[in-house]
Amino acid sequence: MKNKLFEKYFVFSPYFWLVLFFFIPLAIIFKISISVSEWGMPPYQDIFLFDNGFKINTTFENYVYIFSDYYYIGSFVNSLILALISTFFCLLIGFPLAFYIATSNIRLRNILLVLVVIPFWSSFLLRVYAWKIILQNNGILNVILLNLGITSEPLQLLYNQYAVIMGIVYTYLPLMILPLYGYLNKFDLNLIEASKDLGLNRIKTFFKVILPLSVPGIVAGSLLVFIPVVGEFIIPEMLGGSDRLYYGKILWEEFFVNRNWPGASALAFSGIIILVLPIVIFQILYSRWSQKNEI
Amino acid sequence: MDNNFLVIENISKSFGDNKVLENINLNISKSEFFGLLGSSGSGKTTLLRILGGFEKPDTGRVILDGTDITNLEPFERPLNYMFQSYALFPHLNVFNNLAFGIKENFTQKEIEINVRNIAKLLSIEHLLNRRIKQLSGGEQQRVALGRCLIKKPKLLLLDEPLAALDKKLRSKTQLELTTLQKKLKITFVFVTHDQEEAMSLSDRMAIMKNGLILECSSPEEIYENPKSLYTANFIGIANIIEIYKKDENFYSDDLDINFKLNKELKNTKTNILLRPEKIKIQSINNLKTSSFNSFSGEILEKSYLGSFTRYEIKIKNMIISVLDQNFNSSSNYNFPKGEKVICSWESESIKVLED
Repeated sequence: MKNKLFEKYFVFSPYFWLVLFFFIPLAIIFKISISVSEWGMPPYQDIFLFDNGFKINTTFENYVYIFSDYYYIGSFVNSLILALISTFFCLLIGFPLAFYIATSNIRLRNILLVLVVIPFWSSFLLRVYAWKIILQNNGILNVILLNLGITSEPLQLLYNQYAVIMGIVYTYLPLMILPLYGYLNKFDLNLIEASKDLGLNRIKTFFKVILPLSVPGIVAGSLLVFIPVVGEFIIPEMLGGSDRLYYGKILWEEFFVNRNWPGASALAFSGIIILVLPIVIFQILYSRWSQKNEI
Repeated sequence: MDNNFLVIENISKSFGDNKVLENINLNISKSEFFGLLGSSGSGKTTLLRILGGFEKPDTGRVILDGTDITNLEPFERPLNYMFQSYALFPHLNVFNNLAFGIKENFTQKEIEINVRNIAKLLSIEHLLNRRIKQLSGGEQQRVALGRCLIKKPKLLLLDEPLAALDKKLRSKTQLELTTLQKKLKITFVFVTHDQEEAMSLSDRMAIMKNGLILECSSPEEIYENPKSLYTANFIGIANIIEIYKKDENFYSDDLDINFKLNKELKNTKTNILLRPEKIKIQSINNLKTSSFNSFSGEILEKSYLGSFTRYEIKIKNMIISVLDQNFNSSSNYNFPKGEKVICSWESESIKVLED
């Protein structure tokens, strides 16, 4: 009886964690987002006032403010586009890699898996900084290009949206490869041979057999890359320029530079809702679809 | 009969230092049901995969119906391969699995007709809308077979076609497979490690060991007149007796008896094979021991198998297996353990093993 109770709490402990560190902070953010701004510390008024009897002191002006200025919505759209492009490139590079790893012999497979994970052993910040050194005007890449005579003057490789995409694809690639590998690992290679035997060449076999059976891995990897990239702050901050503003950076500035806590909270909360709702709906539809198709 | 329908010529294959196939030559006729029998590591599956185009041989050629197919990709070969695991597509239902190989070149209507016909042939019409996971092993085997046959291949390759089925289903499917093959007249080449399966399905079979073909003949010939010691032991139960020439006769040290052979031998020392069902056992009271092709012994072990009783009979330094048909219906017909009996056989039943 005692053990049963322990098991129950043990199994549900991740949910306590989730409540403690996700739902409660989320509620706090929501609370701040509907409070009235004030010059002070903290820079917002309480939502419950007891001075002259009980009074609820809330406002939706922060939301109105955000949604009426394209500066905020535009940065969010930029981030969504960035996340889409990055996810696409991660998939494009990650899928063949994951497939190759999953189908190679066990010794090579373990070596390749370690190579995929190795970047995690050094600091994320250092790795992004290393790209800065590679891409800067007198950086390694420009020196090589100049010496090879490919360009006559240094190229502006850093501080633009392409550097951001490159940095994100580089950083998030393992998050695409690992779930894909986990799924492709179980792939029955006889299915590929069977498809070829039944007359389909390599390309048709890929689209008729390999791709449909890899959908769950692709979905898992894509979500793992897409969701955090939308809120990514450090990479656009370090590698990006002023050509494009991203959601993460706007959020940071609103909070720490403008000290507009209610506005920043409204922005954060809207972002979560806009992002989470479609994903939840997608997950429900997808799990129904995969149950129906037994994938 | 055209026995050059499928010609396998000097095929060799190594994986690293491991020689898997060494100079394989085989000629298979049109409409033949041909078995490749061997234990694991004999190279039989590699040979089948070379025929299917999944492996490239290091040397040699494969010629099918007059065309050299050695360098063709699997999707260019006019043959099909049935996998041991069946390799059915889990994301497609039975209909789409069957139609998978003909979708390219047929109209929707033709596909429909072809799938219905093949489903009818294999009695799986009621399963067309099912998903693969909802099928039993036997049903999956039929879908896998149908997926190949719908392409009307010149040659069907089957990797352990019955291994994944349970014992009862296996003997039923065995019969169905031979009937189907005789009806469609498609050449079947299959691989198995199960000697009973090889014997019951094959018109002809090849015994493989360590990348070599030891013998290739009809099941009857291989059982009755095996050439090598390995084949004799591999197929059925075998009593192997070492004999050497002594005066006019052949003598066995282990049994301390004389053998009369109806054949001249090259060597002075050799092995002979005596199949257990060729030995007749009688009660010691009925007969006198003669010095040729009979001996007296003691029943050491017996197991009643229904239609047969298997005895292990000890004579001198050797234990001989005997299968005795249970001819009488009375239950006390069998000899009890410890009984002294006389065993005898026709001299034609003794087969000399050359290697």
